Amino acid sequence: MEIVVCIKPVPEAETRLRPTADGTRADPDGVKFVLAGYDESSVEQALLLKEAVPASKVHAVAVGPAPRSEEVLRAAIALGCDSATWVDATADTADDGLSAARALAPALAGLPHDLVLAGKQAGDRESGVFAAALGELLGVPDFGFVTDLRWEPAAARFTFRRATEGGVERWESPVPCVIALQQAWNDPRTAKLPMILKSRKAPIAKVAAAPAAGPSIPVKFELPPPRSGAKMIEYKTPEEAAQTLVRLLKEEAKVFP
Amino acid sequence: MPDFSLTPEQESLRDLARKFARTEMAPHAQECDRTPRFPEEIYRKAYDLGLMNLNVPTEFGGSGLSLLDQCLIVEELAYGCAGMTTSIIANCLALEPIILGGSSEQKQRFLTPFCQEYHLASFALTEPTGGSDAGAIRTRARKDGDGYVLDGEKCFITNAPHASLYAVFATTDPAAKHRGISAFVVPRSAPGVTPGKDEEKMGHRASSTSTVRFDGVRVPAADRLGAEGEGFSVAMRTLDQTRTPIGALATGIAQAALDHAARYALKRQSFGKPIAEHQAIQIKLANMAQSVHAARLLTWHAAWTIDRGAKGSLESSIAKCFASDASFQVADEAIQTFGGYGYMKEYPVEKLLRDAKLTQIYEGANEIQRTVIARELLRGYA
Repeated sequence: MEIVVCIKPVPEAETRLRPTADGTRADPDGVKFVLAGYDESSVEQALLLKEAVPASKVHAVAVGPAPRSEEVLRAAIALGCDSATWVDATADTADDGLSAARALAPALAGLPHDLVLAGKQAGDRESGVFAAALGELLGVPDFGFVTDLRWEPAAARFTFRRATEGGVERWESPVPCVIALQQAWNDPRTAKLPMILKSRKAPIAKVAAAPAAGPSIPVKFELPPPRSGAKMIEYKTPEEAAQTLVRLLKEEAKVFP
Repeated sequence: MPDFSLTPEQESLRDLARKFARTEMAPHAQECDRTPRFPEEIYRKAYDLGLMNLNVPTEFGGSGLSLLDQCLIVEELAYGCAGMTTSIIANCLALEPIILGGSSEQKQRFLTPFCQEYHLASFALTEPTGGSDAGAIRTRARKDGDGYVLDGEKCFITNAPHASLYAVFATTDPAAKHRGISAFVVPRSAPGVTPGKDEEKMGHRASSTSTVRFDGVRVPAADRLGAEGEGFSVAMRTLDQTRTPIGALATGIAQAALDHAARYALKRQSFGKPIAEHQAIQIKLANMAQSVHAARLLTWHAAWTIDRGAKGSLESSIAKCFASDASFQVADEAIQTFGGYGYMKEYPVEKLLRDAKLTQIYEGANEIQRTVIARELLRGYA
């Protein structure tokens, strides 16, 4: 089985973002970009499928600027992906989901793929558009919020579930298809040191992205307002503290009636 | 001009060690220190991720990392728990005599299994009556047919109760002092090898330390490293390699102490404001930051020097000595910053002081390091 997993470099969780000088976006200068969150889950899912289905290969792809795109692709190879393709684009042309899908679709057309995996949304912009857009551009079925993805060799189909507001749906899909995974229903592995060393020497195929302005134009990036002061509860006994807390939660915070 | 930037590969190695230290080691550090407990499941995980046997060359299945790479990893591990780090890197110390003094057949035979499966090894040099004075060791190796018979006792041996292999230094001729010492590889399974019970230690309590007795232990000549009488040289060259990572280990403790102190100082209020706004605390933090930075740079420089093929005795002694003294001082100041809370076991900084203390003693006490530094220094003036 040929599995393509789409990943995006996102700022490390502990990063303290700052706006750029013109205030339109988060300043990437000095920010460490990593393979994280949703994408770790989808790489893990790709590797689990590879281990379950003999003679499978996992190909990682990323679109974006250097060097961060190359770094996350190397991280994916260190985890066990077999090969990688980098679609070289500036942050301006490919930072939104639709632009990323448009940049990647031609590259994917040239790669064998039975399954294209992605996280349910990018860990930074969180728009959740990419996988659906890619499915439409490739003209193949696409599904979001997927869990419990399995390959049924007898039927040559994928089976999976989708958790919805009202219940759990069970689905089947033919190949090829695009699947955006719900996060964290697997336990992403850690890259081993010898694999990290090996990943540094692995070749990464580079493809130039067609220049295209993004359809969405960021106007302003603001940090969340500083948190207002906490309210300290005065008490003499733990019981009194609990009673006061419950009263405040009911009457002031109104978190329950 | 020197270039202090790390390569992307080095950053990846450091990230791996950092993640392991903070997610797998640190959460268990307090419990393993208090009980005390030797967390073998953590050491196995470290092995699985490739964080053990960092110095074994690639031809025998190791990673063959440079000393600077090793230092980056060791500093991060020590940030999570110095005691666990001591046990994780003890294999590097125990296998280095084989790397430096072994024939290619011996390297193949002894090193390869360590890269195929989790095993621990111990470096057995120190004796009850001779630590710094390594030339005075009393463990005897008597010629016996096509081999030797070992008799004696080693002490303060890291991981000894759990090791499957020992690098043992013994004398064939006590009168010849250091020229009579030879190095041997002895399996734990050899009849007459008896590790003692775990010592109760002040710090590094997640690590295991004991005596090892050798009573009439037969060792074939094929398991002697190098020629007879070369053991002292093998031991000293081993310590030239492993001293610098101890500087990195001490730096990791110091960085942890600084981080705890700075975070606490921003939260803790006194006289109506965070104590970080009091100049007395600012001066402490500034001094701590200088010590940590200097310790790290000296360690990097020593590693860089040795990686370029130089012996680096002076540089590694300066790095180990300075970083370990700095580590103790920074941990001390971290406790002072925490005040009464710092003295309580509920808070993390008192452990750092107990852990830092050992770095001034083991792998060459700092008095020995200063002797080496002075000797190398004065050579330039004579």
